[in-house]
Amino acid sequence: MSEIIQDRKVFSLYQVTRSIQKTLNKRYSSAFWVKAELNKLNYYQHSGHCYPELVEKKKGKIITQIRSVLWKRDFIRINEAFKKTVHEPLKDGIKILFLAKINFHPQYGLSLHILNIDPGFTLGDLEKEKQETLKKLRKEGVFDNNKKLQLPLLPQRIAVISVQTSKGYADYLNVFEEAENKWGYKFFNMLFPSLLQGDNAVNSLIKQLNRIKKVSRHFDVVVIVRGGGGDIGLSCYNNYLLAKEIALFPIPVITGIGHATNETAAEMIAHKNAITPTKLAEIIIQKFHNFALPVEEGRKIIVEKAQSLLSEQKINLQTEVRHFKSGTKYLLSKNRNILREISNTMSWNFQATFKQERERLETYQIKIGAETKYLLRDNSEELNRIGYQLKRDMQQQLNKHHLSLDYQLRNLRLGTGRFTKTSEKELSNLEKNIALIHPENVLKRGYSITLYEGKSVTDIEAIDEGEELKTLLYKGEVISVVKSKSKSNEREN
Amino acid sequence: MKEKINYTEAFEELQNIVSEIEQGEISVDELSEKVKRAAQLIKICKTKLSTTEENVAEILKELENTEDTDNEPNFEY
Repeated sequence: MSEIIQDRKVFSLYQVTRSIQKTLNKRYSSAFWVKAELNKLNYYQHSGHCYPELVEKKKGKIITQIRSVLWKRDFIRINEAFKKTVHEPLKDGIKILFLAKINFHPQYGLSLHILNIDPGFTLGDLEKEKQETLKKLRKEGVFDNNKKLQLPLLPQRIAVISVQTSKGYADYLNVFEEAENKWGYKFFNMLFPSLLQGDNAVNSLIKQLNRIKKVSRHFDVVVIVRGGGGDIGLSCYNNYLLAKEIALFPIPVITGIGHATNETAAEMIAHKNAITPTKLAEIIIQKFHNFALPVEEGRKIIVEKAQSLLSEQKINLQTEVRHFKSGTKYLLSKNRNILREISNTMSWNFQATFKQERERLETYQIKIGAETKYLLRDNSEELNRIGYQLKRDMQQQLNKHHLSLDYQLRNLRLGTGRFTKTSEKELSNLEKNIALIHPENVLKRGYSITLYEGKSVTDIEAIDEGEELKTLLYKGEVISVVKSKSKSNEREN
Repeated sequence: MKEKINYTEAFEELQNIVSEIEQGEISVDELSEKVKRAAQLIKICKTKLSTTEENVAEILKELENTEDTDNEPNFEY
């Protein structure tokens, strides 16, 4: 109760705060849902309680602010639900939808007593940030800038954004070490240490990206490696500034931040999202395999093909030589046979011709021999005959003359007396002539006289065909009929 | 054939030679030249796989130089 001091009704402070407490409790008896931004969580590790600072902003300015209380038991429960659903713990800067009662404590004053927080609301809000980031980058036309960059055939020089103590980084390096030992590949991993989760990660990551950018000519690729930290605290990768930094980065950025939830904006913007650090290392090593294998295969193929080409050529050459040999052999023997045949034919022909000619010659020889003999015989017979005839004729003539001489001598001796010397001589001549021209004597020599109608024929004109002629021979006469007649030219005149 | 070519070009040229030889487009006359060239290219490629010339100290030095002029506050890890 109040007391009266100097006519004034005076309350003690406690009476006032108790009254406020009573009034508020009466007015706000039940809990209600409030949406606000969790400006600061104010978690006290010692007690395990939180005293979140809740604000509402308008155009970036705080228009209202109130303290709140989140008791240890509620905090643990809600925080677990958040990690599960939002993949973020309760943290500064998130928007929350919470169930609260107005609490007024005389000692601690006014606060909201948070009974529960809906993780779905926060998730939606974070998702909204991601979507907004992506939307902005698309609008700026840089969404797939980093994706368009060509990763070198051998991404050998790697700028690693990670933490020295990160398990993911250790896994990542192990894969490379193994590959170096196993395949002899050489990698250059240079660490650029950065926070990898939570709200401060954004600035830290951007800072390291900027450092790498300055020496980017030394690197083929940037990797962001995180692992072993669970899925919590990755909403920083939805940050617009970070995502834009990655989008515009001059060399490819590959992420391996190891979580099982939806891809963050940064991962979507990156050249490639390998998901885990191990996978990321394997992707890079695979690039080496993709390079080394064709080189080695190519080497084998070239050696193999070159050898087979050479041996093929050798075989071809040998075959060629063999063909040439057998070809020439065949040609030679063919030509030899032809020659032999020709020579045979020729020789046969020659022989035949020779034989034929010889035979002909022989025939000629024989014929000539026979002919000559015959001619000789013929001629000698003729000669003999002529000789004989001549002899006989001579004999006859001689005989005749002898007889005639004898006769004349006898006549001369007988007529000497009766004839004068002259007349005796004339007479003798006359007789001699008569004897000579006496047809009998002429006929005796083989001549004949042709008579037509009892007159001797001397001119062909005197007779005609069909007329009967009489021919007087030495001994006898022939009657003949003129079949045909012809003039003898020599005797024309 | 001693011109400086990078490993990417070497790789591509090697692939070309391989496909040429695979498809029997290389005659025995060219073979020697191509094989010699391929050996050079393979050497370039294999050297690239197994060596790197980068040096952390040098890159850090280069970074320091640029950061000095940048006047940016140093980030604490």
